[in-house]
Amino acid sequence: MSTLTALAQLEAIASGRAQPVATVRHCHLSETPLVMIPLKLAGEAAAPLATMLGTDRNAPTLLVVPQPRNRDLRFGYAAELAKAVVEHVEAERGATETLEPSKDGEERFRYERAPQIIVPNRGSVGFLRLLGRSTRFRSTEGPWAVDPAVPMLGRWLTWFADRNDRPGSSVLLTLTETLRLHWATGQSSLEDGNLAALMGWIDPPEGMDGPSAAARAEDPVVSPPAGPATDPTFDNEVLAPAIAAFDESGGEPRAEERIRAAVASQLIPTWDLAWRALDLLRALPEGASVPKRWERDRDSFTYFHREFAESPPQAKLDDAVRAARRLHDLERSQESYEAQRAFDDPLVMAEQRLAGQAFGGMVTESEPTRLDESGKRPKLRPYVRIRTEDPVRLDEGATVVNAARPGLKGRVVEIDGQDVLLELTGGMGRKQTPEPGVVPEPGQRVVFTSRTADSWGASKFPEREDTPWTHGGPPAEYEPADEDATEVWS
Amino acid sequence: MSGSPGSSPDVLEERIAELRAAVRRAAAGGDREAARSLRTELRRAEQAWDEAVLGGDPVMDSPTPAQARRDVGGVARGLVPVREQVHQALTLLGVPAAPKLIGAVHGAFFPGEIPATRLTSLRRDEERSFRSAPYARPYYLCAALTADLLAPARGLLTVSTWPLRQRIVGPLSARVDFLTAAIRVAERAKGTDTGRDAGVQRLLWRFAATIPGATGGTVGTDGAVEPAVVAEAARAELAVHRDADGRDRAAAARRAADALDDASLLFGGGLRVLPRRTATGDGPGAGLGTGDNTTTGAGESPGDTTNRRRR
Amino acid sequence: MSRDDDHTATDLSHLRGGETARNHDARTIAALTANPGCARRGVMDAAAVDKDAVARHLGFGAPFGQSQFAITRGNAFEAQVKADGCAELLALLRDGLGLDIPEVAYDDLESVGTESREVRHTRTRHLMARALESGEGTMFDHPLLRLDIAGQRAYLEPDVIAFQLGGRFHVVEVKSFAVVDGQAEPEQVAAAARQSAVYVLALRELVADLGHDPERVSHEVFLVCPENFSNRPTATPVDVRPQLAVVRRQLARLTRAEDIARDMPDGLTFALDDALPEAVRSVEARYAPECMSSCEMALFCRDEARACGATGTLGRSVRDELGGVDSVVTALDLARGVREPSEDMAETAEQLRVAARLRHEALAAAPAPAVPARDAAAPLVGVPAHGAGVLERTA
Repeated sequence: MSTLTALAQLEAIASGRAQPVATVRHCHLSETPLVMIPLKLAGEAAAPLATMLGTDRNAPTLLVVPQPRNRDLRFGYAAELAKAVVEHVEAERGATETLEPSKDGEERFRYERAPQIIVPNRGSVGFLRLLGRSTRFRSTEGPWAVDPAVPMLGRWLTWFADRNDRPGSSVLLTLTETLRLHWATGQSSLEDGNLAALMGWIDPPEGMDGPSAAARAEDPVVSPPAGPATDPTFDNEVLAPAIAAFDESGGEPRAEERIRAAVASQLIPTWDLAWRALDLLRALPEGASVPKRWERDRDSFTYFHREFAESPPQAKLDDAVRAARRLHDLERSQESYEAQRAFDDPLVMAEQRLAGQAFGGMVTESEPTRLDESGKRPKLRPYVRIRTEDPVRLDEGATVVNAARPGLKGRVVEIDGQDVLLELTGGMGRKQTPEPGVVPEPGQRVVFTSRTADSWGASKFPEREDTPWTHGGPPAEYEPADEDATEVWS
Repeated sequence: MSGSPGSSPDVLEERIAELRAAVRRAAAGGDREAARSLRTELRRAEQAWDEAVLGGDPVMDSPTPAQARRDVGGVARGLVPVREQVHQALTLLGVPAAPKLIGAVHGAFFPGEIPATRLTSLRRDEERSFRSAPYARPYYLCAALTADLLAPARGLLTVSTWPLRQRIVGPLSARVDFLTAAIRVAERAKGTDTGRDAGVQRLLWRFAATIPGATGGTVGTDGAVEPAVVAEAARAELAVHRDADGRDRAAAARRAADALDDASLLFGGGLRVLPRRTATGDGPGAGLGTGDNTTTGAGESPGDTTNRRRR
Repeated sequence: MSRDDDHTATDLSHLRGGETARNHDARTIAALTANPGCARRGVMDAAAVDKDAVARHLGFGAPFGQSQFAITRGNAFEAQVKADGCAELLALLRDGLGLDIPEVAYDDLESVGTESREVRHTRTRHLMARALESGEGTMFDHPLLRLDIAGQRAYLEPDVIAFQLGGRFHVVEVKSFAVVDGQAEPEQVAAAARQSAVYVLALRELVADLGHDPERVSHEVFLVCPENFSNRPTATPVDVRPQLAVVRRQLARLTRAEDIARDMPDGLTFALDDALPEAVRSVEARYAPECMSSCEMALFCRDEARACGATGTLGRSVRDELGGVDSVVTALDLARGVREPSEDMAETAEQLRVAARLRHEALAAAPAPAVPARDAAAPLVGVPAHGAGVLERTA
């Protein structure tokens, strides 16, 4: 939350429409994302009720568990879902690029593409994560054998959910969070968690404004929740009688059909909204650093996919080294993601300017060929004076980079009222005179920031086998256990 | 207004959607009357849709498996009345028991199922019968009494012909009765050689899982629980609690016999007749028997108090 | 717990306008602590007004319904854990805490043959007194406790077990949310911990009232939840000291009901009649989005706050960013520089003006995205792979 976003929200209230808080799209959008809307049975940790999914908005697939408490029906559903997800994963691989070998000469590959799953909200991610946990350890042989696709589904869902933890990753996106990254509404974050209400502010139906569309969206009878929980009155008045009739009939097809119809009625409005939300996001130009972050997603996908056959299912809990590395990675991703977004998007950079960590204004003086001759060899050190109205909170000597060309580095020499004098230190070429057009000229508008991308180096962590005794020593290797295969899923 | 069989599916669908919305709004708004009548209308419309779209009345066409099962159950229930079934199970157990355990025991050892819905009203029916014609039946299914207040214990059933002390529950009795039940079920399984039946195994597991030593290291190669081991483990723990529990029950039984009339002895006397406690002198409980708060209780249906909603 | 409380209780009961009093439970008490500065909630709760009925009458019924699937699941799990004298719970406590074999006593404090709360509370006191003196008893199910709320006596009917171990009592609460690999949903654990803290506090009051050290009620409570995806229970100890401190402080800070009542207009009642909207509006509310999860009046108050353009409807963090400016119009006027800020708002005003300038600059430079036409989102016409007829029927 910042004053800029708060202001955007006030403007949203005043205008009755959501207001932009980004000028470019900060996430990757695949051409054929797999949209998934999972529903679960209320009161249960991971009892799936239904999922509507597909890559074609005109042809959703509806998977339903007519009696969510029945183990066989549930595993049957899991197997069907698995086929859909694995099919998508395989279809979205594309060709394999061979990269330069790594420093230690290892071969490196990267798939050209990667799968992408779109879900409505945070709750859906939590549910997919639990679904992953409850299926990835299932055994495909022995007395409790399940369809081989079931544990595969578990491992893939776990991978998607883990990637979702990483700032800037786009393989599993939640619509509410992604939309909120680009628009501010006249309601609180709590209400924005309702996809229909959020979309009501951003894209109200004909003849409605944001508040009236959001109010309509809060009536669960006309606007079913986006899941994973269904509305209690739907459960009590529609679903429960339908499930009871299914039980009573001994699993009769038409009783199942009635449940499917009831569940579909709760999913279709969200399905349509999800695709409409994707339209809106797609209409935004992609941020400059989005492909670079998507490359990281493709790397992770390539690695996971290539190692899939050889690897055990992901551990229930991370061991010490893995947990430390993961935390470090997440923090680093967060840092660079925020920095990259600011460079991509002047509206995000405005946050830094408001905080005084960056400033923008008009160049008033420029000495492009100034040399610093205090050392043995003269160094190219142009001076640029900038007039700014921003509340600069930088110390003299602070290092800054140009927002439009992060390669151009400088140092704050003095700040005098609204005038900032910079000495440029790098990014102008190797000669004693700068490359043409690099040093800003009087009359030009520029923005410099003190926050740079990728400011952290990678840290070293011990190998798994070398976990120090203070952290419990090396963890045991994974052994498939009967306990995992038989774990009740009720 | 209800969907007549002649209406077109489109009209019916619209009608169903409208009714569903109306029912949900009525339920959310707390208007139970409206919700109930709307529900009836909705069911009618849904049925009409079924007939119009899916064709035919499935109930008429052919009996579904569940219905077939129910018919079998009906026959079994026809042979043995519910109170008889409960009596059978309680006699096997020999201790006050909750409906769930009674149902499980009956299901494991006797033919037919006890319909759960019938159990909730059973105690009330028995009390009514006793009060209108005392001792007209050879036995009544009645309440267990709490040792301190001689009030009906929630959710427990007993048999009127049992000695009074067997029908009283003190603080240790729940455990003692659980262990006793485990022993009797295990003995029965051994005696009738039904220990491997699925229903009996489930029941034995339920006991064994929470009795120390009842499963440990003794589980057979097929994962089955051994009745003899369950019985032995239960006896070992029972020995720890039995004497203290017996003293509590005997003392309470003496008090009850002195203080309660016949109906109260069977179905719970409530507080009106609670004698002054001597053990704790004028502790807070002592005032209960004479205070103003004690006018209720005797006639109150114990079944009502178990009907609690979750908050 | 002096006699005066009863006196006040009569004083405030007229506020209900003849409607029946609502009972408190730990959820409602924990909810009280969520927004202690709200006078409207304060007076309605103190007078035990049925806020749900009031909100409905106003046309803003709270969406707090529960799915029967969740209710059934919760009841079934609790019944299972407590079945047969808490056999499963006993096994957990023996395994986890080394509870001795003889410690099996189970008292159901609800079994008094009457619904009277006074009788049930007296029985709770009686058995607790005996347990505190003699150490007798291990599990006490459904204690009926009492707590003073804003000078009002509230009865609490927790679905918990007070569990005695080595002379100390622990609250055991059965919850049906799953603990998967040792972790549960943080919000659910937090809510359970808050509720348990209320029970610990009420039990401590009882223990102190019986002349014993309140610390004999432990701050460590046990949550009994299903493990992973099974029905098997697992017990997790939770230290509720932080929640205890919050609840205690907030309860102490709650404006005393009689003080609120003193400032009320004469003849005020919340009777469900035509004058209700006016009566409710005459008592000031302090709406925040958090109210939605804890107060039945939330939708009404939100509507009211939105109608008068309060920035609080956007959430506390937004309000903080706006330096406490609580009107949308004022904040926008300051940002546009069309209103002269008061001295204490000068800094906020400056921040808003800069923000407005920066937003304008950034948006002016960016091309407006072409919003796709709505017909791009074609209606569902295709035949889905599954349940074709179904989709057509309900689309």
